Amino acid sequence: MRFNYTVISLALVATLSACGGSGSDSSDTETPTVGFSFAATDMITNLTDDVIVAGYADLAAQGDALLLATQTLLTSTSQADLVAAQNAWKAARQPWEQGESHIFGPVDSLSIDPHLDSWPLNTTDLQTQLANSSGFDADTIKGWNDDVQGFHTMEYLLFGDGINSNTKQIADLTTKEREYLIALAEVFRDYAVQLDDAWQVSYNPQDTNALPYAELLKTSGDANNAIYSSELAVIEELINGMIGIVDEVGNGKIADPFGESLATADTSKVESQYSWNSLTDFADNIIGVRNVYQGEFTGSTDKTGLIDFVAAADAELSTRVASEIEDAISKIQAISGTTDMPFRQAILDAEGRVRVQTAVDALSTLQASLESDVLPLLSEWNS
Amino acid sequence: MNKFSQQPYLLLVLMGLTLTACGGSGDDNTEPNVPTISYPSYTSVIALGGDTTTFDASNSGHGFSTPSLNLTDDELALHLEGDANFEVSFTTAPNSEHPDQDGLGPVFNNADCNSCHQRDGRNSTPFLAADQTRVKLDSAAGIFLRISKAPDQTCTVGTADNQYCAPIKVPDFGDQLFHRGVLKARADWQNNAFVGQADVYLSYERHEVAYDDGIVVSLKKPIFEVENPYDAPDETKQSMNVTSNLLQDDVLMGWRNGMPVFGLGLLEAIPEASILANVDADDSNNDGISGRANWVFDAVKAQQGDDYPVSLGRFGWKANTPSVRVQSLGALRGDIGITNPLFPDESILGTSLHDSYLTRTGFVDTGEDVNGEPEANAEFSDSVVFYAETLAVPARRNVDNTNVREGARLFEQLKCSRCHTPSFVTKTSGDIGGLPMSDSLKSQTIYPFSDMLLHDMGEGLADGRPDFLADGNEWRTRPLWGIGLTQTVNPQAGFLHDGRAATLEEAILWHGGEAQQSTDDFMMLSQDERAQVMAFLMSL
Repeated sequence: MRFNYTVISLALVATLSACGGSGSDSSDTETPTVGFSFAATDMITNLTDDVIVAGYADLAAQGDALLLATQTLLTSTSQADLVAAQNAWKAARQPWEQGESHIFGPVDSLSIDPHLDSWPLNTTDLQTQLANSSGFDADTIKGWNDDVQGFHTMEYLLFGDGINSNTKQIADLTTKEREYLIALAEVFRDYAVQLDDAWQVSYNPQDTNALPYAELLKTSGDANNAIYSSELAVIEELINGMIGIVDEVGNGKIADPFGESLATADTSKVESQYSWNSLTDFADNIIGVRNVYQGEFTGSTDKTGLIDFVAAADAELSTRVASEIEDAISKIQAISGTTDMPFRQAILDAEGRVRVQTAVDALSTLQASLESDVLPLLSEWNS
Repeated sequence: MNKFSQQPYLLLVLMGLTLTACGGSGDDNTEPNVPTISYPSYTSVIALGGDTTTFDASNSGHGFSTPSLNLTDDELALHLEGDANFEVSFTTAPNSEHPDQDGLGPVFNNADCNSCHQRDGRNSTPFLAADQTRVKLDSAAGIFLRISKAPDQTCTVGTADNQYCAPIKVPDFGDQLFHRGVLKARADWQNNAFVGQADVYLSYERHEVAYDDGIVVSLKKPIFEVENPYDAPDETKQSMNVTSNLLQDDVLMGWRNGMPVFGLGLLEAIPEASILANVDADDSNNDGISGRANWVFDAVKAQQGDDYPVSLGRFGWKANTPSVRVQSLGALRGDIGITNPLFPDESILGTSLHDSYLTRTGFVDTGEDVNGEPEANAEFSDSVVFYAETLAVPARRNVDNTNVREGARLFEQLKCSRCHTPSFVTKTSGDIGGLPMSDSLKSQTIYPFSDMLLHDMGEGLADGRPDFLADGNEWRTRPLWGIGLTQTVNPQAGFLHDGRAATLEEAILWHGGEAQQSTDDFMMLSQDERAQVMAFLMSL
């Protein structure tokens, strides 16, 4: 993560201001206003409850729905059932990807991220297990390596290899694939529930008396809070979380497969390539940034978010960042062009590559604003 | 919150300079009757890592994950490349779809660096579900067991003949137990899919410690059980006839947790003479504290053809590696099973497990890729090493807080700083890890709070397993910089070599041996004073 040096100049300004003359005589000089005020408690409470916790609760609910949808497939011959399961996978994917803008706390400490979202897969091992095992159960699979479980293994089974299409016929879904899929969905559901519980019940699975992780954010600065020593710490966490995902989408998820040129583009690195859901993933990542910034999900009633913190310092900046977020989302969505081109095809298409570059540029602009203009506000804030 | 407690160190420095420049007399002490309380010199220091220190993330879970502030553009690019590589999740070889990420194992502890150094900090402590009495280590575990044979006699002088006092490898296993494997790592893979050399179970043994004021602290110690070794799957330690090499009585085992990876280049840049100046092997000053140096095999020197490839040990829980390069690339080859230019052979090369794996599967995982190169090339390896060398140290927080200041005074009073040596100045030039060091690391005044030496920490913490010159009771003093952010970075993280301490208070209470007097004195403090010690530690 890159950092800027604005804070240094701020320190210098503050210091030079303090050295203006006699310390006992300030009445005849106008003290310049330094910093800005903002009451952050409501914002932190809102972002915690109505964005982060609400998102994980949704993920847990989608986990239940996905499990049911896969269980329906066990003996089904209906193509509609397979499509329903594919859609349930996409529906579960949405809160997960949006939640990547705040990927700290239990999702990391409980190792849920690698369990659910490891990439790349090991399709060789996956095929071997399908050929050699039977009676798949969730507990056994939890002990296996992460590259044969989680979102992308389910995706591979539900959608096929994604090379020429993202459709699969129900008749092509073998009995073992169905059994494996159901067990994977159960594993997924379990982790989603564990994550939800960690935020709402106890952050420590071994200590039911421990606080919900949400409470640790909302009680930041309390003497007995060993996680967040101040409200500033929480806001710093949230801003750096936004920077982290914008960086990852622009400089990792998109840039790695995109390559320096058409000749070095590498479709094997495209995440969610089996379902052709990549662009939705990337857009959801930045929609997650928007959720945190605005303080509410799209279409919900206006609530306090980081935009209000930024506006307290610089109203123009607050709207500029909001529009840069919108721009990044729309530029990612526009990569599909007029032909609904999936990302893995777009990086191999001359015009598609122009659209990809446009999206990368929009993400770079947003990242620069967050790093150079938003993050430094923390040192100006009279918290 | 006091705004100024959050301001960057530079502000204080500048204010100090400015106030001096404004004409204030520095020696104008005109109130002789006011009793003065002496605070240690480090009480108000904020930039623990000198110019490398990060401020924009030093309050949050990103505190261990930012590059040093003083890198050049080229260095920053290399650091960021290493950052990405640190998170690469490796897969089984051959993986035709992702050949640049294959080579995992065949047996290993984790598939990527990040899993043992979560967010560049400590790993999560394994937890037992409500209905469990023990838990089997799996892909969520960032802890593993070091193993070796008990030596016949204490090794005091390293020579080529005694492998420079290196731990004696367990035949057919090695010096590290790999509890995970690729799918077909074992001959009995159809019953033991993804299992490594053996299964490892963890449980906790608990006891309580009470202060005189009646407050009780519950302490836990992780216990291991090793079962299902690949060379005799049906045997356990309790079997009538134990044939497995791993389960023999003279096999020593000890837990090792992942450690934070920031500030490591600075630690390596501490002049050797500065560390050795604090050695007091025989406690000649009779303060109950010795401080010994570990002298360890140096793979970099060996590769360069040095006749005596031994260096001062600095890294690892027993200071058993000399450099970030050896530590990082050793872990890449060992913990993950990814060979690299410094360690081109698989760590289980020559064992029955590896031989049978290659024969049985026909897989090409001899440690070489299809071009005959190590699985991680020089560019990958160098970037990961540089990343670990140049992760910034987070700035301190709340240094003006009264409890923090009083805690610093108590830290000194309890003699914690005798081993947790507050400060060093890094060297002005030279190499680290056999290569020229980055200018960003030179001439920095740093506050790691570690003497980088070995100390007997008592029976409670001992693993009884010697490692080069370190004996079974000795551990290297853990740096304390950044320690207050440990659970902000990873709320499931624990302290000490096996993560047994859920809080810093528990960690203090485990200190025995040379630190016993400090622990006893800590226990004599009032509850408020104990809280002040914690407040100081949490500010680091």
